[in-house]
Amino acid sequence: MAVPVDHLTKQTPASSTLRLAFGNVLAFFILLLIGVLAFSIRLFSVIKYESVIHEFDPYFNYRVTQFLTKNGIYDFWNWFDDRTWYPLGRVIGGTVYPGLTLTAGTIWKVLQSFNIPLSVETVCVFTAPVFSAFAAWATYLLTKEVKGTGAGLTAAVLLAMVPSYISRSVAGSYDNEAVAIFALIFTFYLYVKTLNTGSLFYATLNSISYFYMVCSWGGYTFIINLIPMHVLLCIVTGRYSSRLYIAYAPLVVLGTLLAALVPVVGFNAVMTSEHFASFLVFIVIHVVALAYYIKGILSPKMFKVAATLVVSVGLVICCAVVAVLVAVVASSPTKGWSGRSLSLLDPTYASKYIPIIASVSEHQPPTWPSYFMDLNVLAFLVPAGIIACFAPLSDASSFVILYLVMSVYFSGVMVRLMLVLAPAACIMSGIALSEAFDVLTRSIKFYISNLSESLQIDAGDSVPANNVSPQNEVLKNEKKEDTLKERPSRKNKKKEKENIEKPSVKSKTEKRPLVLPVEASFFALFLTVLLGGFYVVHSVWAAAEAYSAPSIVLTSHSHDGLHVFDDFREAYAWLSHNTEVDDKVASWWDYGYQTTAMANRTVIVDNNTWNNTHIATVGTAMSSPEKAAWEIFNSLDVKYVLVVFGGLVGYPSDDINKFLWMVRIGGGVFPHIKEPDYLRDGQYRIDSQATPTMLNSLMYKLSYFRFVETDGGKGYDRVRRTEIGKKHFKLTHFEEVFTTHHWMVRIYKLKPQRNRIRGKAKKSKSAKNQNPEIGHSLSKRSTGSWLTESGWSYGFG
Amino acid sequence: MGKSPVTSKDDAQALFHSLRSAYSATPTNLKIIDLYVLFAVFTALIQVGYMAIVGSFPFNSFLSGVLSCVGTAVLAVCLRIQVNKENKEFSDLPPERAFADFVLCNLVLHLVIMNFLG
Amino acid sequence: MFKVPTLLGSDPTLKNPKTKTMAKFSIAIVFTSISLLIALTHSFSIEKPTDRRILVLLDDLALKSSHSIFFNSLQARGFELDFKLSDDPKIALQRYGQHLYDGLVLFTPTTERFGGSLDVAAILDFVDSGKDLIVAADASASDLIRNIAAECGVDFDEDPSAVVIDHGSYAVSGSEGDHTLIAADDFIQSDVLLGSTIIKAPVLFKGIGHSLNPANSLVLKVLSASPSAYSANPKSKLSTPPSLTGSSISLVSVVQARNNARVVFSGSLDLFSNKFFKSPVQKAGSSNKYAKSGNEQFVTELSKWVFHERGHLKAVNVRHHRVGETDEPAIYRINDDLQYSVEIYEWSGSSWEPYIANDVQIQFYMMSPYVLKTMSTNKKGLYHASFKVPDVYGVFQFKVEYQRLGYTSLSLAKQIPVRPFRHNEYERFIPTAFPYYGASFSTMAAFFIFSFVYLYSK
Repeated sequence: MAVPVDHLTKQTPASSTLRLAFGNVLAFFILLLIGVLAFSIRLFSVIKYESVIHEFDPYFNYRVTQFLTKNGIYDFWNWFDDRTWYPLGRVIGGTVYPGLTLTAGTIWKVLQSFNIPLSVETVCVFTAPVFSAFAAWATYLLTKEVKGTGAGLTAAVLLAMVPSYISRSVAGSYDNEAVAIFALIFTFYLYVKTLNTGSLFYATLNSISYFYMVCSWGGYTFIINLIPMHVLLCIVTGRYSSRLYIAYAPLVVLGTLLAALVPVVGFNAVMTSEHFASFLVFIVIHVVALAYYIKGILSPKMFKVAATLVVSVGLVICCAVVAVLVAVVASSPTKGWSGRSLSLLDPTYASKYIPIIASVSEHQPPTWPSYFMDLNVLAFLVPAGIIACFAPLSDASSFVILYLVMSVYFSGVMVRLMLVLAPAACIMSGIALSEAFDVLTRSIKFYISNLSESLQIDAGDSVPANNVSPQNEVLKNEKKEDTLKERPSRKNKKKEKENIEKPSVKSKTEKRPLVLPVEASFFALFLTVLLGGFYVVHSVWAAAEAYSAPSIVLTSHSHDGLHVFDDFREAYAWLSHNTEVDDKVASWWDYGYQTTAMANRTVIVDNNTWNNTHIATVGTAMSSPEKAAWEIFNSLDVKYVLVVFGGLVGYPSDDINKFLWMVRIGGGVFPHIKEPDYLRDGQYRIDSQATPTMLNSLMYKLSYFRFVETDGGKGYDRVRRTEIGKKHFKLTHFEEVFTTHHWMVRIYKLKPQRNRIRGKAKKSKSAKNQNPEIGHSLSKRSTGSWLTESGWSYGFG
Repeated sequence: MGKSPVTSKDDAQALFHSLRSAYSATPTNLKIIDLYVLFAVFTALIQVGYMAIVGSFPFNSFLSGVLSCVGTAVLAVCLRIQVNKENKEFSDLPPERAFADFVLCNLVLHLVIMNFLG
Repeated sequence: MFKVPTLLGSDPTLKNPKTKTMAKFSIAIVFTSISLLIALTHSFSIEKPTDRRILVLLDDLALKSSHSIFFNSLQARGFELDFKLSDDPKIALQRYGQHLYDGLVLFTPTTERFGGSLDVAAILDFVDSGKDLIVAADASASDLIRNIAAECGVDFDEDPSAVVIDHGSYAVSGSEGDHTLIAADDFIQSDVLLGSTIIKAPVLFKGIGHSLNPANSLVLKVLSASPSAYSANPKSKLSTPPSLTGSSISLVSVVQARNNARVVFSGSLDLFSNKFFKSPVQKAGSSNKYAKSGNEQFVTELSKWVFHERGHLKAVNVRHHRVGETDEPAIYRINDDLQYSVEIYEWSGSSWEPYIANDVQIQFYMMSPYVLKTMSTNKKGLYHASFKVPDVYGVFQFKVEYQRLGYTSLSLAKQIPVRPFRHNEYERFIPTAFPYYGASFSTMAAFFIFSFVYLYSK
């Protein structure tokens, strides 16, 4: 009696179990390494600069986390912040997505209880890399559900390095996406797992993971619209099964309940149009389930009768319900959608109606190069992956295809959503690569086994050489294997395990294996390794050079080395040491979060941009002449005004470049500010051809006050590349109190009202007629030298 | 599909009879589950009617009440699917495991309901 | 090595008579220095706003005697007057940042330049630091005086040779006939400025007039000219209509700056002179003959006001708390009931007396007043009000803005945030929601029963 032998590799079940076990252990270690890789590739900014929080939004999250760790969760839940949006304040508990802060706070608490004294800042800085490791593991799990372990590992390593995800999760980028992407992938994994197994346990876990996603990011609406779409797709393509019902129905009920628990979402979970798709499909799936059930217990003839009856009656009810729904939705001006969602559906909506959303640089559509920058090789691996998913098409692979298509559309609308595309692209590419690698290694193994067989034929073995389970789907992949990447550390035994796991078996006894000629496969293998090297090099370069800048510290290289511009922190430190605790600082909304977090002063507007009128007030003040601006700021109890100016060093993101947005937003609420007043022939200028309104505006004056003193009278602005229009002027209602070393941040104080009101203008007997305070104000300036060497240019960007 | 009213009435009656006979063939435990589902749906309808009369002031209480009924109905249907011996896909799932999952899910549901109610 | 002096007699080294006297000496030094320190601190107390040292600058020393009644009345009230000629090179208002005087009287209408370190900027600095000023101009007022006045909001007639002429209410007297000596009785109606006794006799005035910008809220006309007055050169014929006419001409004005420094501008130096104080007055066109003009009373009362002996308020002890508690909370909640109280005192010249008024208002302000309430007083200087916090959350301010004619302006603002309800401050059980509670609990019970029935049925 013959011992059962696996015909391709001629192994016994005992040795294949050993192989299986070995494969599992290997997979475990590979996953561990992937986690370490994902963590360490994001540490460039910590190495190059320091362990500091980047950008603007993370500072707000950091401040909230500090509050949470200091005061506990109940105070955090009810926190009313009176140091921002003065004098309106902001109810933090109800307007912030708590997932990120709660996660970091919990990690900090746990570490404290183990007596590991990491500061809150360290925990916040390193949360993102840790969760990106988790996200890579979640990608492995998801892809394993779709195609198998091999594809899973490939997808995981791709996700660990994809530049798009790195850009939003470097060490220091403490923003919602850091945990949200992990939650997204994990939720999808649990959904697919429930779909594959039909277990209610995983459905429960799915709902809880969805809850975590809702806590973390506003992008949760993507999930709650994608899953219903997939369910609908399955129903329409005839793939309805009871597992689908178990996967979807509890998610809707539990998920809506859990989403309503989060204060930010609240009743929006049932009232906004973004969630209606889920309810609609909920009803549809019940109808379909009922139909299938009745079909199951009736005879076909009776079922037809039932169908006609139901259709005729049900149609009437349906129309009534739909009419009511449409009336309710149409009564709201935005049809129930929020502004940001509408701008996703209609890309031109924001620029027409909501200039604030349109002005954020992350909300602009991406350019073609950014796809290659952010996805690199994956951009042309994805179509191969789609084909691989179609053969064979399962519920899980149809889900991944739908996910990819939707995310490609949304990434085309807003560059920030490239982040949602990244996991889908990695999954698809991972599937494609593992399929290709499967073919290549099988070819090589087949060749080797043929070689050894020809040696063994002499020994009398009667093993048929061509008994192998066909892998039909490979055929199509062979045509597409031009540019494939593969991970060199993979072993052949991996494929063994995968062959055993694959459920699709249509085994025939005599079938030719689909293999390539061995020389071609060796060559293709070599090429894929090379391409993999390119991908790795690009990802590491992107992580190190392009995406590690903390943007709070700037650097530039010049002929005498590296220059570091730490002006922002210099200005915030000055503010925190030289002003009273209750003083209010007005600046453009970009710097609000940083000012409250680092300088600890009350601000008027900040990056949350929830109150358009307040922002428009500040914008109007910046665009008005000095006296009107003083009046506006005085009515808001402002003491200090902060502007960012890049003209001396060539920093392009300064307030003068953003000034037109201030005019537009201010003009949207206060009609006396008209944008054409600030443009000369439709062009925005600040040189001698600028309009008088522009030259008299507060922003111009505060940016260029005493600017001519830096280069001996010319006043050459390095960003706009011209000399400024009005060179010598005095400030009547503001006094300069601080300018940083490179003139990047300038702080002014509102002059108090004059003690006496003067009579009619007299012939000036002496030059001391002007306000004597001007002479004293300059002495408080930073005493750093601001004269730059000639010909020394700072390169930014 | 224009049928004359008489024949459609006959058909309706025949349909009704066949449905009854088919249904009475289901095992008892499934019938218990169906009763449970009906009770939940009935309670939900009562609440919706009450809200239509009184108005939706404590909306969170209304939502939690309705969703608890809908949730129990859905979960019971899931249990029924898993326990039903006619479903081939779940033939290797032990009914104890199905019931345990059901209990777990209900626990989570009721915990959330309690939180959201007040 | 400084040795702390111990008890005499206990230290064996003190048996030596020399060290004994040394010890006594050091004790005496410590004692005197301590008492000196105490004395010094008392002399600059901020608690006593009536300041004592006044610098009087004169054009001509004869003014000392010709205006002696005025000066003596000041000295009788406790002021130390330091008389100097306007071109004295040793004039200095400050030394090393310290002010040497608390008030300044300028009886120097013709001086073009002051001696020493004094000029327009120094005088304005003096006013801006909170000190008081009396300025008297006259028919030949110099540009210096005009500039000082213009900086404070008082515009003298630009024509240097113009004086106020009134053919309707001049003072009837023996000698001159050009009607430049005016009997003015158009006083401002204010008890604070001019005292509670009405000045019956008109005030004699001879000098130049000035006008005030009606939009200027810091200046007040104390003595206005009559509707028939005008400002012109008495000796030449008028070719154009005069620029200043009628009641818009102010003869004496006061300025109360934002930091509550007080300045008096008078167009006539003779207003303060002994001659005008003692002379009888009769207004043309009226039959009343007064034995004594109202100048002395007018000037005395006005000087009391200028030097803060009347109408100077201070507000202290701002307190606010919830009804029923005594501590000041750091943050209020919407719909809280709270109480606010403040104590206001008025300086009487020698002590702080409770200020009694019924028009002090408290605002609860966030970009506009949400609550505006008049405070009630207990007649001992305590003003209080209680109100309910509005239903809006945000950062509010308790604002008291009190600007009454002649009194110092009180501008108090205290910032306090107002938060919305916490998640556990709502009603616990809402009656209309009982069916929903019932339904939820019934589903739980049904689940329980169902699982029993399901598990244990055959």
